Amino acid sequence: MEANAEVQVPARKPDNRRRTSLLRKFYGQRYLQVMALLGVAWMLLFHYAPMYGIVIAFKQYIGIGEIKNAPWVGWEHFKAIFEDDMMFQVIRNTLGISLLKLLIGFPIPIVFALFLNELRSLRFNRIVQTITYLPHFLSWVILGGILISWLADVGVVNDVLMGLGLIKEPIFYLSEPQYFWAIVIASDIWKEFGWSAIIYIAAIASISPELYEAATIDGAGRFQRMRYVTLPSIKGTISILFILAVGSILNSNFDQILVLKNQVNESMSSVIDIYVYEIGIKQGRFSYSAAVGLVKGLIALFLLLLANSFSKRMNQSSLF
Amino acid sequence: MKKWLSLTMVAALMSTVVACSGGNNKPEASSSPSASASQPSASNAESPSASAEQPAADEAGWKSDTSPITFDWYLNFAWFPNKWGVDPTSQYITKKTGVSLNLVVPAGNENEKLNAMIAANQLPDFITLGWWEEGVKKMIEGGLVESLTDLADQYDPYFFKVADGAKLSWYAQPDGKTYVYPNASSSPADFKNFGTQFTSNQTFVVRKDMYEAIGSPDMRTPEGFLNALKMAKEKFPEVNGQPLIPIGFHEFGEDGNYSFFDVGQDSSYLSHYLALPREKEGKLYDRLTDPEYVRWLKTFRQANQDGLISKDVFVDKRAQMEEKIAQGRYFAMLYQRTDFAAQQNVLYAKDPNSVYIAVDGPANTNLDAPTLAGPAISGWTVTLISKNVKDKERAIKFLSYLISEEGQKDMYLGEKGVSYDTIDGKDQFKPEALNLMNTDRSAFDKQYGASHTFWMLMDTNMQLQWQPPAVEPFKQLEDWTKGKTESYSQYDLINPPATSKEGINAKKIATEWGKALPKLLLAKSEADFDQTFNDFIAKRDKTGFAELMAYRQTKYEENVKKLAEFLK
Repeated sequence: MEANAEVQVPARKPDNRRRTSLLRKFYGQRYLQVMALLGVAWMLLFHYAPMYGIVIAFKQYIGIGEIKNAPWVGWEHFKAIFEDDMMFQVIRNTLGISLLKLLIGFPIPIVFALFLNELRSLRFNRIVQTITYLPHFLSWVILGGILISWLADVGVVNDVLMGLGLIKEPIFYLSEPQYFWAIVIASDIWKEFGWSAIIYIAAIASISPELYEAATIDGAGRFQRMRYVTLPSIKGTISILFILAVGSILNSNFDQILVLKNQVNESMSSVIDIYVYEIGIKQGRFSYSAAVGLVKGLIALFLLLLANSFSKRMNQSSLF
Repeated sequence: MKKWLSLTMVAALMSTVVACSGGNNKPEASSSPSASASQPSASNAESPSASAEQPAADEAGWKSDTSPITFDWYLNFAWFPNKWGVDPTSQYITKKTGVSLNLVVPAGNENEKLNAMIAANQLPDFITLGWWEEGVKKMIEGGLVESLTDLADQYDPYFFKVADGAKLSWYAQPDGKTYVYPNASSSPADFKNFGTQFTSNQTFVVRKDMYEAIGSPDMRTPEGFLNALKMAKEKFPEVNGQPLIPIGFHEFGEDGNYSFFDVGQDSSYLSHYLALPREKEGKLYDRLTDPEYVRWLKTFRQANQDGLISKDVFVDKRAQMEEKIAQGRYFAMLYQRTDFAAQQNVLYAKDPNSVYIAVDGPANTNLDAPTLAGPAISGWTVTLISKNVKDKERAIKFLSYLISEEGQKDMYLGEKGVSYDTIDGKDQFKPEALNLMNTDRSAFDKQYGASHTFWMLMDTNMQLQWQPPAVEPFKQLEDWTKGKTESYSQYDLINPPATSKEGINAKKIATEWGKALPKLLLAKSEADFDQTFNDFIAKRDKTGFAELMAYRQTKYEENVKKLAEFLK
């Protein structure tokens, strides 16, 4: 096989030589490649094989029997999406919550990492870092329960605000729809910013100290060093994380919202994922919810491509 | 060497991919082993018993085989707290019949668990769920469950002796087969025999000490009602340092609220209190738009405007409500009395005066007595046997045992000498068991397991002969409902299947109401209320309400005919 290929090399065009050398390279790395293949197998098994189920979005499948026997209905479920009164509200809430989360929640870990980097005491630095990323390990089920009691009429939030004289009557935050977005966004940022900062802290740690020394010699102050040395050095990391954040904009908040949602704040709290869960898993309309999920996936893909090309144009770094 | 190891690993992984997708495509494949496993036992049983079949119809089939077997039994109720085999009653039944149960209860949302089991075709041997659940239709129409009548014909004619024929034909499918058997069900014949003793679960209750302290006011009119709530709030602003909740309801869900109106189940305590008819001249009546009903909804809106409805009631789930009931934080509740029995005990133990008592609640302008929902032939839950069942014969025989008088007695009284004895010539609970049952029901369940701790097939009429008289703090609640109940059997089982056009519309209307109801109660002014209400009605009409009502009307007429048959 190999010998054969080698014989043919001189006779063919250069691009073929490239292919042969690729094969040879592949052979050289065969042990490593087998490991990668395991990953590929995992992807195929858990990510690609279940995709077969997407066909139910074009079928009338009721959850009994085999998918392949269910009758085809074409675009019927997709048409129904556009006639669904809930869709507007659901998309508004999803985009509203996610965009605000991105807008407010994305810069905070960066700023936090920058400031943490400037701390002189390493010990204090470590303590702060640990404290801020610990909430990440609490599940939303637990944290949701804690938040519900904090935000209740006799909860700590009302106690503090009333003690400060900011409000007169206790407010039931979770049963006033207008507070819902703020609660969700603030609690999510509080839970995650310490964790998200870790990547930036790592990126900052890899910046060569010589750059800072040179900047200091040139007379740069602390803020100037932050601005002209640190930030440009982690620019690539920031844009990759930004692209990823945009890609997952439509599916980041299921468990959080599921625990904080109730029948009164419903108008501001139902998001696409919750809607899919309620229609599909609870009401058993599998086909319709698969169609909604598919549309959601397409929108997410579109947003990801948009962010990617934007980032490519802005600072030449992109996912692909 | 290493290479081959990793290659085989890849191959192994790939083969699992193939195996999995193969399994997905052929759900029969997974069920076939169990089917074939039960086949030999079936044929075994048939050949010897076929000749001796005739006398067996009168004999309890379960006695023929008491070798140990464990059935998985799914209960579609996340709150069900008990395990089989912990208490003497279930141990006794296992000893007697050889059947042991592995009770499966959903950890989270019930529909989610049931739908997942249906989709994966992994139903356990027995399934118990509310008769109104969509899953019942789905499992029957999807051919996932055995027909009880077929199983009985084949293996256990004794079933027909112990089962109530009226209940079987009430639940019969168009093909004449019956797939479910109800519990807590009362056939028209039961109404004749036990009708005077019937009670309802639907109560309007107030905290005794507070109600008496404000002078036991009449709460039947909107003015009296609002005034009583106001007085209670003024006199008792706090309970143990926490704010009083003037009135509580059932939990608000996506289809509404039982206390006000659950459009999904077409169930409404309030309209029963207002004695609204469910049909007029043979046509189903839309109670939701009745002026009396709207008048009271507006009264509740006014209550909210006056600060008499706490926001908790819109948010709390049953667990939070139970905690607050046990603390006595509600003044009044429009709530099912059986849903707070344990909490009532806690209050009674602390102070017999702080319990909740039933009083006359919201009434119509004529101040008619309420027409509360009493027992009905549909009962409460239904039990099905899935096609995946380990052993069809043992399953149907065990089911027959449970619904027979002997099984009912074992489930209700437990083992003789342990939880009951013949005292004064009558089989009844031993005093210490009775005392525990009346003071701490959950401890009783664990310690004795009697009195239908496992209620999957309880016959609430048959148990009357062993039932001890009700004691306080429950007696007052129970007695209050006597004579105020009505049977609404004919209005059950009238909803369309969820995946049909009418069914999808029905669900849309129900969720629309689930959203509208809190808005109505929280409306800032009467004009806002009217606006929201009219919007809902307009939306409802647009979503095919007329077709839905037409569907229900046909079903209702069929039911009326069926019930008339039973009485002949």
